Amino acid sequence: MAEHVLEPDSSRRGFVNWFLGLSGVAFFLSTVYPLSRYLVPPRVAESTAGTVTLPIKPDDVKANSGEIFKFGSRPAILVRTPAGDLRAFSAICTHLNCTVQYRTDLTQIWCACHNGHYDLNGKNVEGPPPRPLDAYVVNVRGNQIVVSKSA
Amino acid sequence: MAPAKAFDGDIHKAKGFGCVACHGGDANAAGMEAMDRAKGFIGVPKRQQIPQVCGRCHADAAFMKRYNPSLRVDQVAEYESSVHGSRLRQLGDPKVATCASCHPAHNIRPPSDPKSSVYPLHVADTCGRCHGDAKYMAGYKIPTDQVAKYKTSVHWKAMTDKGDLSAPTCNDCHGNHGAVPPGVSFVGNVCGQCHSLTADLFKKSVHAKVFAEMGNPGCATCHENHGIQPPGDFMLGLGDKAVCSTCHGADDKGGKTATEMRALIDSLSGETQKANAILLQANHAGMEVSQAQFDLNGAKDALVKARTAVHSYTVAPVKQEVEVGLAISSKAYARGIRAMQDLRFRRVWLTIFLVVVLALAAGLVMKIRQVDRRPTSGSPPKH
Repeated sequence: MAEHVLEPDSSRRGFVNWFLGLSGVAFFLSTVYPLSRYLVPPRVAESTAGTVTLPIKPDDVKANSGEIFKFGSRPAILVRTPAGDLRAFSAICTHLNCTVQYRTDLTQIWCACHNGHYDLNGKNVEGPPPRPLDAYVVNVRGNQIVVSKSA
Repeated sequence: MAPAKAFDGDIHKAKGFGCVACHGGDANAAGMEAMDRAKGFIGVPKRQQIPQVCGRCHADAAFMKRYNPSLRVDQVAEYESSVHGSRLRQLGDPKVATCASCHPAHNIRPPSDPKSSVYPLHVADTCGRCHGDAKYMAGYKIPTDQVAKYKTSVHWKAMTDKGDLSAPTCNDCHGNHGAVPPGVSFVGNVCGQCHSLTADLFKKSVHAKVFAEMGNPGCATCHENHGIQPPGDFMLGLGDKAVCSTCHGADDKGGKTATEMRALIDSLSGETQKANAILLQANHAGMEVSQAQFDLNGAKDALVKARTAVHSYTVAPVKQEVEVGLAISSKAYARGIRAMQDLRFRRVWLTIFLVVVLALAAGLVMKIRQVDRRPTSGSPPKH
């Protein structure tokens, strides 16, 4: 009679042990893998952020002015043309990677490092820059300015 | 190729001109009678005639406006002022270039046409057909390695590798129709067309006057003329490859200034790299340092500006830029250090947490086993 009672108990215990062992292995793996990825992180490329919402309101950007903003960890420039259009470009000069700025007196984007000039389409028009600034897409959504790398 | 066949791609044909426009004669007559000298037929123009033949139209502003209002009409006048033109006029030199040497007759294309002999990418080879031919140039006693040197230069690489067709080629420094050597005192002006800030600093510097007195060719004294290589910090100071050491020694004022400027540039360069490295390390470890990386661009700008300021050949402007850059890079480095300290803090507490969790799990397992070893309450008592 006693042996008859012990048989199902032993089988239940075996199942619990098997379940506990499997859970232990799963717990170990689910802890160790993210931990190893945390301790030895993969080499990541530069920020690939494709869109950024600016901390500037459209009305705060006056005509014939420009403002530098952060696009990932790189500088970009938002320009309001004298005609009122909003445009955005990479603010990295194509000559030696200095940060460009807006020149109200010239109505141009200008690099102070070697006197490079760009027009308000980002085209290099004077000085040593070899090619135009990369252009971004500007969208105004309500009271927000959203700049994207492509449409 | 027969002239008539090549003429299909010629800009003049596209504008409606035929053989008579240059060779004269009667366009309405068929056969040999078209080539009537009484009707202005000139046949193949002699070398001395070519500028005048082209100039009949190209020096006539009213005529040219009908075809291309923006095209200059001073090419012949410019040519007269060139070495080529003056040798042709004064010496009747049969080897000098005329219009057709660079704009091949019957296949003349505008400079914007990639098939044109004067398309920016082809200018060096067009000039080099004569100027790179030592045998052809033997009587002129000028070097013939200009094109070979130019093709090692940073300008040629900008044009070919980066596709920058505005990068200078032969005519941008020497003029095209009025081609002459730039002239010693004007080299800075030539380079300054693009490198205006650097040229302005140089013009105001002690070197502008001294170089002119010594007969040194301005910018080209340190940077060469045709084989201009990418500049680097190695050029500054009194090291092995430093150009300053050509004239200056460790004991003279110029040598000391050069050494001091180099030390300043090196310090900013080193500090910027150090800050950049730690920020990259923190970034790769998943820490948010994008604002610090963004701000570090200011130090990189300052480094470029300091390198430009070297052309003032005084320490103060270089120091001014370096100090700005050092302040930025030192702040960025401190933020990198803080990010790494934060990372270490997180790792330590993660380790502590894991030890506690694992200890708890181990304790749980031991407890379960202990419970397993206990006699079951339902066992029959032993007698």
